[in-house]
Amino acid sequence: MAKKTKSRVILVRLLSMAQTGFFYTFTRPRTSLPMSMLKYDPIVRRKVLFLEQKRKGKA
Amino acid sequence: MAALSQKHIQLALALPPRLRTFLARYPPAAILPTAPGAGASAETPKTAYQEETPNPFQPLKHPATGKWHDPKYSLRRQAEIVKIAREHGVEELLPFTVKGTEERLRKRVELGLRVKGTGVGEQVKGHKHERQLVSKMEKKRKAMLEMPDLIREWKKVGKRNWTKFPK
Repeated sequence: MAKKTKSRVILVRLLSMAQTGFFYTFTRPRTSLPMSMLKYDPIVRRKVLFLEQKRKGKA
Repeated sequence: MAALSQKHIQLALALPPRLRTFLARYPPAAILPTAPGAGASAETPKTAYQEETPNPFQPLKHPATGKWHDPKYSLRRQAEIVKIAREHGVEELLPFTVKGTEERLRKRVELGLRVKGTGVGEQVKGHKHERQLVSKMEKKRKAMLEMPDLIREWKKVGKRNWTKFPK
């Protein structure tokens, strides 16, 4: 049986570094670098660093 | 004397049968006639019921087995008996019970209209999110204190070279 082809674009979760558990979800090409950005966290009500969560299993 | 006791008997017969039965089984020492010639040291005669359980409103530890036996009268029935007795004005003839008016008033004075769990050394369990609230707030506070340093470092390293990603 042929191997299932991986999609070119993946969904990633950007987790707030303020430890609030708040996250944004983005899509990015599988081959690009992991995302990180300064973005608003509504729980602490200010801009904080968001980093991409490591994906489970084989990426 | 005879007329007086006759009056007492009439009064006793006026009581509801439930209370009459109770008082026949567990008569208080105060209303028992003292045997002629018996001194103050003489034992008051006891009914068979009283031999078995001195106070039918209290749990009893069995002398041989050491097991606790429940009261002969449940709390519900105790409250009912007390209520009937109070309505007929003979509550002081009943043995001690936690359902008695005096005991209830004492408890009310001692505790007031207090909400359980608010006293000294008392606490309620609460929901999980309530129990974890303090530690979560502390974690957030620490993270926010370190945030400017983290952002500075992230800007210095640049997002292309950043490798520390959360799990």
